[in-house]
Amino acid sequence: MSSRDYLEIRGLHVYYGNIHALHGVDLSVRKGEIVSVVGINGAGKSTLMWTIAGVLPIKSGQILLDGRALPSRPHEIVALGVSLVPERRRLFSALTVMENLVMCAILRRDKDGIASDMERCFDLYPVLKERLLQRSGTLSGGEQQMLAISRALMSRPSVLLLDEPSLGLAPLIVESLFDTIVKIRDEGVTVLMVEQNALQSLEISDRGYIMQTGEMIINASSQELVENPAVRKAYLGGD
Amino acid sequence: MLLQTLVTGLSIGGIYSLMAVGYSLIASILSFSNFAHGAVIMLGAYIGLALATKLNLGLGLVLTGGVIGAGFIAVFNERIAYAALRHRNAPPLYLMISAMGCSMFLENMVYATIGSRLYGFPEFFKRQVVHVWGSSLSLLDVSAFVVSMAAILALHIFIMRTRTGIAIRAGVGDMTMCSLMGVNTDRLISIVFFLAGAFAGVAGIFLGVKYLVYPTMGWVTNKAYIAAVIGGLGSLPGALIGGLILGVVETLVSTYVSSVVRDIFSFSMLIALLICLPNGLMGRETEEKV
Repeated sequence: MSSRDYLEIRGLHVYYGNIHALHGVDLSVRKGEIVSVVGINGAGKSTLMWTIAGVLPIKSGQILLDGRALPSRPHEIVALGVSLVPERRRLFSALTVMENLVMCAILRRDKDGIASDMERCFDLYPVLKERLLQRSGTLSGGEQQMLAISRALMSRPSVLLLDEPSLGLAPLIVESLFDTIVKIRDEGVTVLMVEQNALQSLEISDRGYIMQTGEMIINASSQELVENPAVRKAYLGGD
Repeated sequence: MLLQTLVTGLSIGGIYSLMAVGYSLIASILSFSNFAHGAVIMLGAYIGLALATKLNLGLGLVLTGGVIGAGFIAVFNERIAYAALRHRNAPPLYLMISAMGCSMFLENMVYATIGSRLYGFPEFFKRQVVHVWGSSLSLLDVSAFVVSMAAILALHIFIMRTRTGIAIRAGVGDMTMCSLMGVNTDRLISIVFFLAGAFAGVAGIFLGVKYLVYPTMGWVTNKAYIAAVIGGLGSLPGALIGGLILGVVETLVSTYVSSVVRDIFSFSMLIALLICLPNGLMGRETEEKV
């Protein structure tokens, strides 16, 4: 584990419409870590992700990447290497698989790099290569998730934000998805994810946060969280 | 006679298509009907007129100037009247109302500065005709048709093949995700407005050359709107086909029935279509958005 915080959030307040969704969230992710945010529906997990990505405006507080405040608009944040895979993936369903991949490399000018990154995605998910000219809306749920992750990787992120990546996927596919997330981290990408599938996501995480009604109430190593009986009972669906 | 009528219909239809393409582009990316489009067409015609009469330029340069001028007018229109609303996530209805206001503002600006006089373009084609299979066709009609089709084909290739085109199609599906891919959506929307304005410029100049230039000439976009709805609002092939169908049907009705019932016929067609086929001939199937 490297020492300093790479992504740091301090005292973040965010309103979602008239709802005060985040009440002073503090969170930090070190370089090369996988950090999970766990909590029930409506705790503000997705709001947190959309805010980091720049889609929702910050009311007060700070989001720092490598010590510097993130810019305010989504495309500027992507350009700095922070990439979000949103809940339910939101692929461009009318575009082909190929076009979806081109879209996310749209900021890049290095044709060779793009081609080699595409190969990397196909190594990760060979099935995508067979589906290149197919409209992404016609892919199966698992294939769509593969494409969503490949799409985020094509922008060569340094931080990958995953919002409920396992939602709606069959258990077997979830397992291989989590294996892939570890693989991506091992290649040097820092991962922050929110999951309802708390136990499984903590298993691959270094640390975890428990979020409740817009606040982080517990911050500990994944192991401590998993072993804490109160936490197990309340959030992890354990006994 | 029939061929001649058909070519006249296709040339008017081609101009309708050009205007309908602008409507469709903007409707598909921002989900509202840009009723200021007619005013952009009118201003494009005035720019062309100024280039033709004051600078004595030929049709090619007049078209180029009109295209660039109308394109930028459309971009400014968006920046001034719609961007602030968009940034506050205003519902599309507000954009539409703002567009109506822009349309009246621009028309009245022209009344106040240039006046209500009707202007004619210099005779670019001097009533030249081409003879095909025993019919004499107006060179103007043939050129209007050919230029419109070429412009729409070029746009189609641009949208299907280039990165910007992919980004436009992605933005049509999901603007927020488009920005999360690193696209500056304000710039993307400006590009779309420039394209719509450029097409309005071509349409305005051909309308001006064929008929006359005056402040309310943009009202003809009602027809383009019908064309866009016939084809399916938001669909480019739909705008093309809707425009051509409307142009040909209108010309046939004026020639073989009476020009008095022409507009009655067009609007009846719109109402019938909205009832029977609300998505238009080539409307996008509504995609499920979870």
